Amino acid sequence: MSFGNYKDKIDEGDTVILYLSNTLYAIEVQREIKNKKGDMVEYVFQTQFGALKVKNLIGVKYGSRVELSKGWGHVLQPTPELWSLTLPHRTQIIYTPDISMILLQLDLVPGSIVIEAGTGSGSLTHALIRRIKPHGHVYTFDFHEFRANTAKEEFESHGISKFVTAQHRDVLADGFGEDLIAKADAVFLDLPSPWLGVPHAITCTKDQGGRFCSFSPCIEQVQKTCLALQEHGFQDITTMEILQTELKVTKRTVPVRDLSFLKHKSSESPVEEKPSSETSYVASTWPANVAGHTGYLTAATLPPLFRRSKAKLQKQHDTSSEERRDSSDDGKMVIDESKC
Amino acid sequence: MIENDRIYVDYIVLQKQKYKKLIKFNKHNLCVNIGRDTINLSGIEGCFFSSVFKLYSSSGKKNREYQLELTDEVVNLKDEIDIRSSGIDNRNIIDDGMSQKLTTAEIEDLKVDSNKASDIVESLIVNSNTFHNKTEYAQEKYLRKKEKKYFEYIQILRPNLRIIAEVMYKLDPIKIQGIRLDTLSQIMTLANIHSEGNHLLYDSGSNGLLAAALLSAIGQNTNGKLVHIHPGNMSQKQALLAMNFQSEHYNRCVSVNVYSALRQYYQGNDTNAKSHHVQNPLKRRAEEKIDSKAKVAKTNNEDDNINITSETLQTNDTNTNMEPKKPKWFFDNVASSLILKDKMDSLVIACREDPKNIFMELVEFVKPGRPFVIYYCVVEPLQQLYSTLKSQSNIAALKLTCNWMRHYQVLPERTHPEVMMNGASGFLLSGYVIS
Ligand SMILES: C[S@@+](CC[C@H](N)C(=O)[O-])C[C@H]1O[C@@H](n2cnc3c(N)ncnc32)[C@H](O)[C@@H]1O
Repeated sequence: MSFGNYKDKIDEGDTVILYLSNTLYAIEVQREIKNKKGDMVEYVFQTQFGALKVKNLIGVKYGSRVELSKGWGHVLQPTPELWSLTLPHRTQIIYTPDISMILLQLDLVPGSIVIEAGTGSGSLTHALIRRIKPHGHVYTFDFHEFRANTAKEEFESHGISKFVTAQHRDVLADGFGEDLIAKADAVFLDLPSPWLGVPHAITCTKDQGGRFCSFSPCIEQVQKTCLALQEHGFQDITTMEILQTELKVTKRTVPVRDLSFLKHKSSESPVEEKPSSETSYVASTWPANVAGHTGYLTAATLPPLFRRSKAKLQKQHDTSSEERRDSSDDGKMVIDESKC
Repeated sequence: MIENDRIYVDYIVLQKQKYKKLIKFNKHNLCVNIGRDTINLSGIEGCFFSSVFKLYSSSGKKNREYQLELTDEVVNLKDEIDIRSSGIDNRNIIDDGMSQKLTTAEIEDLKVDSNKASDIVESLIVNSNTFHNKTEYAQEKYLRKKEKKYFEYIQILRPNLRIIAEVMYKLDPIKIQGIRLDTLSQIMTLANIHSEGNHLLYDSGSNGLLAAALLSAIGQNTNGKLVHIHPGNMSQKQALLAMNFQSEHYNRCVSVNVYSALRQYYQGNDTNAKSHHVQNPLKRRAEEKIDSKAKVAKTNNEDDNINITSETLQTNDTNTNMEPKKPKWFFDNVASSLILKDKMDSLVIACREDPKNIFMELVEFVKPGRPFVIYYCVVEPLQQLYSTLKSQSNIAALKLTCNWMRHYQVLPERTHPEVMMNGASGFLLSGYVIS
């Protein structure tokens, strides 16, 4: 129940984050768990620093130190960011750098109504809920029944189910449902054919208009999505890519090699031909292996209804002339035409 | 539609094609400058946000002043202009600057005489030697360029965090410490800013962008509070004001000077500041007014007056009739001190000073288990701080990160990254406070 409000102490049933020198674990605090044979046994969590008796966490203050059999760690109350790093993967998930931009691109604030598909492992969903609560709501869909149900159970056990409705549904075939017609401030899609979801997104967006965003790993998906958005009268269509690199900070001590003395005959000979002193820096290095690509984010605005009908008319006009204008070019392009 | 969707608020965003400008809507001076043009905004008040207006020239030659007319039409030049033929490739195009038969003066006259952008462009095309030899793609690009030059429509948008951050970054990244949109978005998530809790911000200057970001995530009609600490005499508020927050929302951000706030916290009533201000309370008030005027004028090119300070001052005065002369900053210091005593649920620092001392002092207010984020535009101060904090035992999950972001042009057969990208994202040092 520890994803709701801030808490001071750990209660039974909380999910806690155990931090051990650069490793994070998510642990559900229970006195006992089922073992392989199906019997209830005491819950002992194994780490690189030995065993943790989970029942001892109950009543412990968040942020404090806990003893392990071969060391110690700290317990933190989970945030969506910590959860994204520790959650059980049922699918590919979206991580904090992209999630942060998605929240901003969707213009989400407490009170917003947002639709998400697919739910996947619920990594993004937790961050959506945190941003729109207490007055807003997340409607999240997955056509994989097990994932939809597991997510639902998770939201309940995390104490955030009143801010989210998780449903099992094929949103591309069936849309987001009658109940959500003209209800949403924002629609987000992370599924293989987002362009097919664009008309459904329009149906569910409020009359005042709203934002749309989709996350796609492949550029072909992006092209189809942008085309669909343009045909349906979306404005301000932009596609971007975001990467975050964690820098490794190290203290480096390096030798200093003096060569200037060679210009003159030395009085004292022989001179030692090796570095003469040392100097040190605090340095940041880029890791040799980093994520080079996660996905492309495409965001766009659906204008309010009174501008939308016009956009549709224009769309017919557009398609009849069989050519479409670029809307993502901001006029800043300064490349040679022949190179494009 | 609800009234909220109409243009009655203080700040609006004017969009002309891809260009956006943040404007303080001033009923007494409705003229704004866009490039070399002056646009008179009379008539937009009460219209719905997202409305599109057609520009029409209201005066004679040379003086490029435009009036607005509400329209539900937006036409693409491409749809209006009939292109008869195009070349296959550009082997025959010689750019000798002679392809346009019209002189600059003739084009100027054309601009004054015609009332449609398409008329102007059509004349340009008719008088161009090369247009019909250009490839279809090049023609399209030509039209796009001309459309940018002669575009006749503007749209009025409601400001929000995304738009304000984008506009301010494009205008002058230095003024917001170079905080790019992706970095801003991560500051908000990494510090777990949301509707609940007490959030602490130290900002040595971002024109109010960080306070606007955090307060928008804290939300309307919630319990969350923001203590916005700054080193200057006046807090910078432009972005905060541009969000058009309602007073209930706006008032949950307490902006205080760092010296006064900490003195108040540790030594009780800010005696130093008090005597100083009792001596010349008028001077300070006057400074504030001039300050805010100057700041907004700089960014908006308009004569503006921010009256939030004086308004909130009055409300504060009425509920403390014992000493009615006490200025708003006094009550803000007391309020911030009470919130700080309650302890904070997050800490965000974006400073121009060395971050170490600021962090060390402010982290004392943060509850164990809660996150912090420090932004700096170059990496060295954060590297130093990283090493210091690594050797202490009160910080967990310490991370130094930098971001990379680029935009794409997505067009059939012509998709590629934008040719220009902004490489400066700054750096974030984040972690959790532990006991
Ligand atoms: C990559 S995962 C989403 C991960 C999620 N964004 C996260 O951060 O945890 C994509 C999900 O979309 C679901 N999906 C694909 N097509 C769908 C459809 N037509 N309707 C509903 N869900 C769909 C899949 O079952 C899968 O769980």
